[in-house]
Amino acid sequence: MPTAHPLHTHPDTPPRGGAQPQKAAGATPSAGRGTFPQQTRPRHKWGMVVDLDRCTGCQACVVACQAENNIPLNTESIYLQRRVIEWIRIERYWEPNHEQVRARYIPLMCQQCDNAPCEPVCPVYATYHNDQGLNVQVYNRCVGTRYCANNCPYHARFFNFWQPVWPETLDNQLNPDVTVRWRGIMEKCTFCIQRLRRAQREALREGRTLQDGEVVPACAQACPTDALVFGDLLDPNSRVSQLAKNKRAYKVIEDLGTGPNVIYLKKVDPYAPTADHSH
Amino acid sequence: MRLGKRAWIAILVGGGLGSTLLGLAFLVLVVPRVVAHYSWSVERLFRQAPQQPIAFTHATHAGDAQIPCLFCHRGADTEAAATIPSLEQCMFCHRFIVGTTEAKQAEIRKVIDAFNNQEPVQWVRVFRLPDHVRFVHEAHIRAGFTCSDCHGAVETMTTMRQVQRSLKMGDCVGCHRQNNAPTDCAICHY
Amino acid sequence: MGITRRDLLKLAGAGALGAIAFNGCRIPDKELRVESPVALPEDTVTGRENWYATLCQQCGAGCGIVVRVIEGRAKKIEGNPDHPLNAGKTCARGQAGVQALYHPDRLHTPLLYGQPVDWETAMGQLVSQIQQNRGRIFLATNPLRGHIAAVAQAFIQAAGGTLMAYEPLEDTVLRTAVKRLFGQDTLPDYDIAHARTVLSFGAGWLETWGSPVRWGKAYGAFRQGRSVVRGTFFHAEPRFSLTSANADLWLPVRPGREGVLALAVAYVLIEQGMASPSATAQLTGGRGLSALSAYQPEQVAETVGISAQRIREVAEAFGSQRPSLALVGGSALAHTNGLFTALAVLSLNALVDNIGREGGVRFNPPPPLDLSGVPPAPLARWRKALEDMGAGRVGLLIIRGANLVYGLPIDPKEFEDLLNGVPFRVFIGSIPEDMAPFGDLVLPELEPLESWGTDWPEPGPGFQTLTFQQAVVRPFRDGKSFGDILLEAGRSAGLNLPWQSMREAVQDGARRLFALGRGSVRAGDEASFLTGVLQRGGWWDTQAQGQGRVTLERAPATPPAPQFAGEEGEFPFHLVPFTPLGIHDGRGAHLPWLQAIPDGTTTVAWQTWVEIHPERAKELGIAEGDWVEVTSPRGSIRALAYLHPAIPPEVVAVPFGFGHAGMGRWANGRGANVFRILAPLTDSETGAFAWSATRVRIRRLGPRQRIPKFEGTVLPVQLEERPIILITREA
Repeated sequence: MPTAHPLHTHPDTPPRGGAQPQKAAGATPSAGRGTFPQQTRPRHKWGMVVDLDRCTGCQACVVACQAENNIPLNTESIYLQRRVIEWIRIERYWEPNHEQVRARYIPLMCQQCDNAPCEPVCPVYATYHNDQGLNVQVYNRCVGTRYCANNCPYHARFFNFWQPVWPETLDNQLNPDVTVRWRGIMEKCTFCIQRLRRAQREALREGRTLQDGEVVPACAQACPTDALVFGDLLDPNSRVSQLAKNKRAYKVIEDLGTGPNVIYLKKVDPYAPTADHSH
Repeated sequence: MRLGKRAWIAILVGGGLGSTLLGLAFLVLVVPRVVAHYSWSVERLFRQAPQQPIAFTHATHAGDAQIPCLFCHRGADTEAAATIPSLEQCMFCHRFIVGTTEAKQAEIRKVIDAFNNQEPVQWVRVFRLPDHVRFVHEAHIRAGFTCSDCHGAVETMTTMRQVQRSLKMGDCVGCHRQNNAPTDCAICHY
Repeated sequence: MGITRRDLLKLAGAGALGAIAFNGCRIPDKELRVESPVALPEDTVTGRENWYATLCQQCGAGCGIVVRVIEGRAKKIEGNPDHPLNAGKTCARGQAGVQALYHPDRLHTPLLYGQPVDWETAMGQLVSQIQQNRGRIFLATNPLRGHIAAVAQAFIQAAGGTLMAYEPLEDTVLRTAVKRLFGQDTLPDYDIAHARTVLSFGAGWLETWGSPVRWGKAYGAFRQGRSVVRGTFFHAEPRFSLTSANADLWLPVRPGREGVLALAVAYVLIEQGMASPSATAQLTGGRGLSALSAYQPEQVAETVGISAQRIREVAEAFGSQRPSLALVGGSALAHTNGLFTALAVLSLNALVDNIGREGGVRFNPPPPLDLSGVPPAPLARWRKALEDMGAGRVGLLIIRGANLVYGLPIDPKEFEDLLNGVPFRVFIGSIPEDMAPFGDLVLPELEPLESWGTDWPEPGPGFQTLTFQQAVVRPFRDGKSFGDILLEAGRSAGLNLPWQSMREAVQDGARRLFALGRGSVRAGDEASFLTGVLQRGGWWDTQAQGQGRVTLERAPATPPAPQFAGEEGEFPFHLVPFTPLGIHDGRGAHLPWLQAIPDGTTTVAWQTWVEIHPERAKELGIAEGDWVEVTSPRGSIRALAYLHPAIPPEVVAVPFGFGHAGMGRWANGRGANVFRILAPLTDSETGAFAWSATRVRIRRLGPRQRIPKFEGTVLPVQLEERPIILITREA
């Protein structure tokens, strides 16, 4: 388990412990203040495990993400400009120096790094790390310097070069839980924070904690082969924590010290030229 | 031409005065307008209590009749949106209540007509948050706040207007701080 | 005075852009409107999400889905976790169902001879045409199942005429083989999840073929779902597809020689004593190995393009690491010897004795309630049908979901002449497809998410399943569902039809299922049973499983050679067309999400491309992004060149699905239609379209363009220096 970095703790994070908030029935407004019980926020470190041996590169996650997160249409002209926005994308690598040419697939999204290189370079604090282990992008703070995208070694951040347009009736599909971004700001994978927030509210209302597997981001929900698993890395019994112990586990370009929270499981290839091989 | 010392002084002082005056004029004439406009046209607009298509009075419904807020705004304790009641809900009562004065009867007539003609009523929004804010009524009611904490003494208002709160981010954050509520940006912005 | 960062920004902005800011800061009027709806149904509460179970119809697999509906608008599609076929999963195409619903170019009014008319006039016209043309009606649809098939069948039976289903890439060959070997009327399921070895021929089962979500789910378990065993996957296909890329070993078999390869594997199985004796006896006619001497690996290696050593290696793995499973489909069957290939590959399953076993081939039972399907008719029958139309033997043609002019290997001019032999033609569809201009009467159809129906998936999950489709949102456009049009017009024309509407058909179906007294939904009365099946998205009975026999056919002493259109000298390349991940055979071309999906291997989107080996391209002076002309004996199309490092040098590949005339703003006129250059060859026995049997030549047309591909969008500078994909040999 990685140790907590001082930056993890948000200055506003309340101390742990204390009672769950109780609905103060019939309390007057003034009584509500001051006597309001200490708010606690359960601590999480959201992470994902991606099993490369299950991933087939079928793109289901990519479209699911676009449907869930109001991602602008990637038209042909956007493709030609190389300004395609895909919060999760499938990278395809050719591996030619092999008895037969191979194609390798890897789904890449924001790695929600513990020491995210995008965070310190933002001049307006539009991106920061929260106490749930998420790297948050605040759209209304962003002024579009694009420093963060330049500093992200995973190329997980995307800039809105154009005002997104949904022709006529297509906007009926937009998800009301997700901000429709505008021209000139940066966006990236949020681990479907809107689903997290909805589930957290529901759990609070029912006075319980979130169960493992209760929150599933759009990509993981769609993935036919179950290559993507989402959960809390602080919970030792969660599926992600269990899978992270797998001997195939690694993190992408971890040597840069970014501390990613997305754990990959190595692709298995019995015909690989060497026992441990990389691309 | 050589300029004398006096001329130099005159130019410098004059220029200095001129730019100072310009600066002052900018500060006095332009800046307040801009600041006022920014902080906030919304607020100013809403303080004026916008004209509504039907002269609905909260004073009668929530004040005199003492109908609980949640009777009409049913989503407030369960959903993100408090919800504007449907005309069907209005008709729960207005099937029987047609008004005591002529003026009231005329307004109630509008509701009944709209319902009979299946025409939705287009109200003017009074409390508005920008698109990038995800406010959830349910969480605030669950935390023990009452409607009037943010919406003011609605039961006394004949026309609805925004009082009590500016609904700017500082206002939200201040309240969250006071009440030990999380101030993580991602609580509201995503 | 403490000036904050925010104030400073405001002031700086205001000074420079005062005028703009003054106007730009006004709130748009629409954001200040808030509406009191008239009624308050539960599902239109602001911000409340409702999930409704229904049926996905973006491809023919028939997955169960749940749709998130907020304020009466469908927002997101997820897999139905209860559904036995896809168990909560979806593919990229399934996700795009909501985009089809809100497509801006949906038809919204009936058209009579191109002029908008009201529904009453339009339906009146249809009714009188039905009355006038009793016995001479032709109903051309997409393949149908469930109650919509029952309605179409009842309609044609009552009205008199022909009902034929059309799919550009039909599965007639596979159906014939399954019928002949196993006596099955429905396609079997493959238990990939429990197999240890999978050997597939041409079937892109991880992309678009068969039931890709079901088998994708199984693939995950096949690789990593078991603690000790990791399944091994071999794939034989002339093109390096996404499925080939995921195989442990890809076997780049010569086009049309898949059957020979399969029998070479059979040869090794028998030779090594790994084959079931009874199956061996059937396959060899009791003569043993000598009957297969023409398929000895050493002898056929050159023909199939794979070394004898590799064939033996694969065959030994297939025979020893059981359960093992052989699949066939896609381009492997799209040859003039397609049936031979299908019989050969399916026989492998009997040789390793996997029929009806865990990890093997599972037969599907007949669909419940005596429902039957309308499978796609082979090309030969369509040719005959078109001749009938040209000869004036059809009085009324109703077209729905059958994009004939797009997919049939017939000259469009000739097609138009033949169709002009029909006095009145009706087009039913939600998007103005390529066939819409042929409709004298055009009727806007509702989208699947607005319609009622049922469906039994094919291939099914191995037991009786009936998926229920309910309208999850109110119609967004003024339209009627296909079934309702047939029922309403048919009844008005005096036909004796079983139901008033599709909704009633569905209710009747639920009533009859309830009467069976078995299956996944149990309820005290009919009404709560109907609620139950709609809530769960369907009904299934895991006990009602398929039965079957196995009778192998004798392998031919000499393999039937495939025939190709075009001489090798003049047309040096085999053309292998394929269905891309998103737009499939063209049915998804109108949806921008699907157009924008990067292709599985080349990552190209939005344009027709041709995959060519870099060395052959070099010989022809072609660079990536050059416009090239692909010419077959039938004609030529234009495409962008993509230099594909893994495609065999004698093969070029072009995606299906582009080059529509119509189908809305994102499909119309985009790219080139590869069906236009395919020769009208058919499988010699079944008459099925041999769409992979055309040879072509390539010529450079114009200079380099930027090719719309995802590859390179994200600069891999840092990534190239450091490995990001780690690979291990050990499972």
